Amino acid sequence: MNLLNISCKKATYLVSKKEESRLSWLERIQLRGHMTICSFCRKFEQQTGFIGRMIGHDHVHATLTPETKQKMQEALLNEPS
Amino acid sequence: MAQALLNPDKWISEYADALYSYTLPRVNDTALAEDIVQETFLSAWKARDSFKGEASEKSWLFTICKNKIIDHYRKKARDIVQPISDNAATDVFFDDAEHWTQQDKPLDWGLEQEQAIDKKEFYKVLEGCKKKLQEVQRAVFSMKYLEDLDSAQICKALGLTSSNYWVLIHRAKLQLRACLEKNWINSK
Repeated sequence: MNLLNISCKKATYLVSKKEESRLSWLERIQLRGHMTICSFCRKFEQQTGFIGRMIGHDHVHATLTPETKQKMQEALLNEPS
Repeated sequence: MAQALLNPDKWISEYADALYSYTLPRVNDTALAEDIVQETFLSAWKARDSFKGEASEKSWLFTICKNKIIDHYRKKARDIVQPISDNAATDVFFDDAEHWTQQDKPLDWGLEQEQAIDKKEFYKVLEGCKKKLQEVQRAVFSMKYLEDLDSAQICKALGLTSSNYWVLIHRAKLQLRACLEKNWINSK
């Protein structure tokens, strides 16, 4: 296998690794080369980037029941002051 | 002096829902999230003399809550972190030459028009997809994206090596992406 010719499996791994740490110069060249020819791996990078951005937003608006809050309040009152 | 800056009487009414909303997506478990909020208030009460008023009451409570969440994962690490196997469930996405299979190759999500995306629907499907991850993957994901922690801190809390951490994150991404494509994109 050609050193510069990497598989989609390896390319997607490098996309994930790139986000966490620096790639070696060889890995950078390998990934760049693969991305120019592979539209699927380009989509993978775009989509996982999108997922990361969406997850990073606080999007949950959850509420506790009045009973749970009542219990919390009582637990606080029972603490020695 | 310091206590004058705190209003414990109003903690529950003012912050319980906000802390709960913060905790829930970070632990993915309603009962556990309630416990953590409760413990946050109790710890805050016990530590009220140490409140210096340098941060607002609200951010002080959130800091306590965040530490509770990290503690939870640290304690759980031993149970949920298993040896990383060479074979992953996501290997089936690739063929013998390690290229995407016809069935699993990423489709177009129409992300060029991101503003047209129904966020509510996305998050609903995302929560379902997160539930299908392994617990350790969920932990790593929640910590990475929701806690503003860097990878070194996450590895330390969970006792992971950095290469195991990459592999976990990567496999979780492959899996989430596929799950979203199947249940969000293809169901539109």
